Amino acid sequence: MGKDAARAEWDNPMQFVLACVSYAVGLGNVWRFPYLCQMHGGGGFLIPYLLMLVLLGVPLFYMELAIGQKMRLGSIGAWRAINPYLGGVGLASVVTSMYLCLYYNVINAWSFWYLFHSFQSVLPWAECPVNSNLTGHVEECERATPTQYFFYRETLDISGSIEENGGIHMGQALCLLLAWMIVYLFIVKGVKSTGKVVYFTATFPYLVLIIYLIRGVTLHGAINGVKYMFTPKMEQLANPTTWINAATQIFFSLGLGFGSLIAFASYNQYNNNFEKQAIVVSMVNSSTSIFASIVTFSIYGFKATFNYESCLERVRLLLLNTFDLAEDTISLENVIHWIAELNRTHPEQFASLGGRLETCDLEAELDTAVEGTGLAFIVYSEAIKNMPVSQLWSVLYFIMLLLLGMGSMLGNVIAVITPLSDLKFISRYMSTKTLNGLVCLFCLLLGLGFTTHSGNYWFTMFNDYGATFSLLFIVLIEVITVCYIYGIKRFEKDVEDMLGHRLNCYWKIMLAGVSPILLIALFIFYIVNYIQGGTPTYQAWNKELGKSVVTEYPPYAQAFIGLLLASSVCCIPLTALYTYCKKRNLASGKRERTVSTVSA
Amino acid sequence: MLVWILFLLCQVGAPALAQDLCQRDAPNGYKVRISLKTALGEDAYEWNQSEMFFFQATMAFAMRRHFQMETYNVDNIILCVQTSRVSFWFVVTSPDNTTMLIPKADVEKAVRMSRHRINNAFLLSDRTLEFLGIYPTLAAPVNPDTPPWLIVFGVVIGAVCAGIIALLVSSLLQKRRKEKGMTEDGQDEEDMQVKGVENGINLDGTYNRGFTDDDRFTKL
Repeated sequence: MGKDAARAEWDNPMQFVLACVSYAVGLGNVWRFPYLCQMHGGGGFLIPYLLMLVLLGVPLFYMELAIGQKMRLGSIGAWRAINPYLGGVGLASVVTSMYLCLYYNVINAWSFWYLFHSFQSVLPWAECPVNSNLTGHVEECERATPTQYFFYRETLDISGSIEENGGIHMGQALCLLLAWMIVYLFIVKGVKSTGKVVYFTATFPYLVLIIYLIRGVTLHGAINGVKYMFTPKMEQLANPTTWINAATQIFFSLGLGFGSLIAFASYNQYNNNFEKQAIVVSMVNSSTSIFASIVTFSIYGFKATFNYESCLERVRLLLLNTFDLAEDTISLENVIHWIAELNRTHPEQFASLGGRLETCDLEAELDTAVEGTGLAFIVYSEAIKNMPVSQLWSVLYFIMLLLLGMGSMLGNVIAVITPLSDLKFISRYMSTKTLNGLVCLFCLLLGLGFTTHSGNYWFTMFNDYGATFSLLFIVLIEVITVCYIYGIKRFEKDVEDMLGHRLNCYWKIMLAGVSPILLIALFIFYIVNYIQGGTPTYQAWNKELGKSVVTEYPPYAQAFIGLLLASSVCCIPLTALYTYCKKRNLASGKRERTVSTVSA
Repeated sequence: MLVWILFLLCQVGAPALAQDLCQRDAPNGYKVRISLKTALGEDAYEWNQSEMFFFQATMAFAMRRHFQMETYNVDNIILCVQTSRVSFWFVVTSPDNTTMLIPKADVEKAVRMSRHRINNAFLLSDRTLEFLGIYPTLAAPVNPDTPPWLIVFGVVIGAVCAGIIALLVSSLLQKRRKEKGMTEDGQDEEDMQVKGVENGINLDGTYNRGFTDDDRFTKL
């Protein structure tokens, strides 16, 4: 672990903090946390969330920063230095980060697509396109909504199932190329360029969020959404899923286990005060989640109120037209009253309305909880198209999504590149720029698979299975390694060496006791859930019905899921075995020489 | 006398006959629905007999425009079943024979042809002046030669390419300058570490204040 004369460094500690913030504050804060809040009892969800932050999130974050800063190597080298048998932990992190790199940039490609399409007088997802003989709208769009049609047909050109592959969507491929070029631009000079970029990617999303907050709470009906979100439903706290989802959200939101934090910290100065920074970044991440969910819920409230009032308007027109009443007899306020009235006075005519009379329910509109890409690209764009000056809000929103996504991508790519550039046989033959370019090109070419007609289904598969289970396993092994194999005493001494003061008991108790127990509980829950869940399924878009239907994965896709899970998890035992065999070969009769760890 | 009685009967009978031709759900008639308050809000005019007459005149104009040979008059447009919604039914009789109705299809063609003029006459639109059964032709989509998104894409990707090339070229130039031996450009990490105190933070030793240039620091 000697002195790294040539290792790059952040220009100042602020760049490191902003890089961590930029990485941790990502799309999950905007589209997953509000959903969880809504599902698990609104304001009451904050209790398990903040508790898990204190018990699980901050200690593990601290641990990863400590390792990176101490070892001054990427994840592979760092874990190999801690314990030669467990170098596989770093390799597993790199493999998982590679999967993440492959599919995460596709989201940025979609954001670019929507951003470029916002520069039109009428937003393309505001209305259904007309059909070829100009008599009406395209059928698929009539059955679904214009925003869904735009996402599934024009953006993705999605096929009916994961088996139907089709060709590459050229627009998507171009946007993906642009996304990777921008990533390359940001990392081409290593931390020197990344350090400057994070000033922008970490701070600008907050500016947009504030603008959106002001716009959001002034929208008509926004207060319904915010009230709905913050009304705590305390009975949800008794549900174990609430606690598990809180733990999982903290875990993935902070980006633990990917190796990005180790990579970022490895460019720190030896005596950097990472303890304070760990607390600051975790707090910033959680408060951003809460802040973003206020924005999301005010927009939800607006959308729900808009839909509710449109429903009332349709019912009003239906009543006026069927009973031929003058236009100003029924207004939006007394529609409900008139329904009862007309049912009483003209029962047969009322009965002839039959199924055309809709029931308008504001609660039901607010209850439609959506997460993930569905929230970001369908629900939000539906809300935006109804705002005045919708093009401006659309551009702002997708720029914010892009910055959040790009900030996280930086962390993902650096998690892959840092360990690779630490390996001697690569750094001897290639400069960093060439290595960066090759990694970006490789990910671009493989990522083109996600731009095919069935690409979204593969994307969902990677999203659901690529990183979730393997990460839990990786971090569990990490914590056990540091606390019990490396030893909490040695870790304490390392930290004292770097910071100048000892670990206080909060860190010791959390790292050695509470966090491993929570992680084991999460791990067991995931396995049980997976076994109980039966055949894995996905949502396939049905063109005729105009909605998604639940479909089972075909056998080869299920095998691929297994491969995804196994490929990262197996790195750990396989590397341990390999190191063991190598050591045995060396010990038996060959000359003793120190197993040289990687020196950069 | 007889002629006079017959004449009286005709005067009474004609409207009655007209009423038989125009009725709710008439096979050759169309229902019209007008939403004045939705279209015009505060500026909505009142729908009265004069407006009905105007409608008859407009429809006669539409029929004349379509058929061109035949001279339709306001009497050929018969209105009935008026409601307070403002909706009513109308049928069109032939100018040669007032008992014969013009078929539905022809009326539809005439309305489609002059729809825009009819709407404008009443300051309404396709949505607020509805002919139930005649669907408005939707506006053809505007298809520009280059989709606008491609233009924005081109601009952005051009800027990114320029940025990448600029960065690569600048670092190449830096390397070449270093190789030529000009060392004042010592921004590289190796130089900083080797040079010691002045250019950055010294990681290797303790800072010996005996060699500081104190005058530099007092200038603030």
